[in-house]
Amino acid sequence: MSGLMHLIESCAGRRAVASGEKIVACAWLVTITACASSFAAAADFEAGKKKAQEVCAACHNMNGISTIPDYPKLAGQYPDYLAKTLRDYKSGARKNAIMAGFAGALAPQDIENLAAYYAAQPAALASKY
Amino acid sequence: MNRLTATAWVLLVALVSGGVIAQTVVPAGDPAKGSQLVQMCQGCHGIPGWRTAFPEVYKVPKISGQHPGYLVNALKAYKTGERSHPSMRAIAATLSDNDMAHLAAYYAQAPVQTAAK
Repeated sequence: MSGLMHLIESCAGRRAVASGEKIVACAWLVTITACASSFAAAADFEAGKKKAQEVCAACHNMNGISTIPDYPKLAGQYPDYLAKTLRDYKSGARKNAIMAGFAGALAPQDIENLAAYYAAQPAALASKY
Repeated sequence: MNRLTATAWVLLVALVSGGVIAQTVVPAGDPAKGSQLVQMCQGCHGIPGWRTAFPEVYKVPKISGQHPGYLVNALKAYKTGERSHPSMRAIAATLSDNDMAHLAAYYAQAPVQTAAK
């Protein structure tokens, strides 16, 4: 998404000097990028479970309820939030020395799978008014 | 080991372990005081399925039932700008360390079911 924002910004920046054709090309690029990012491959729960065992469970446990107070509970969290968090750790947008190492080694599909796995665990979290 | 050395060791160990503990201990929060501060949180974190609108669309995380230490760390990171989200940064900037502890204590309590629609 941040890539998309960059693209939009660079398009806007060029508009003053660009010809009409360039603007049309930019618009197409933006549209194509937006479409590509909204069609991520479906999450694979079992692959997520396997990856969780390898990478996450030592701190977050398999049920997503960490026993260490500094490490968040993940059980039942929204999958899109979990995926965003992992992407931000991977990109460095969110800084954490421990999570940067783990998230940096995950492929985009791993992130979707892990988010689906932990979101599906019996919820330890809720919205509270 | 003479007495003076022994005393020095005890002091050293106390200092080091005290320092380590101090980093992880969360200031005691009062859920009742936290409940008086939550009006700034409810509009997003109180509504199941609510989404952020800017700068990226995703569901606002569920925080009720979360570890209080994690919640305090998150608020502090927003306040310092280490963690960036425009709304959260603005809100956290208004909170003292005590406010954060009270809010974390409030949200750390067992999740309460929101009214069914």
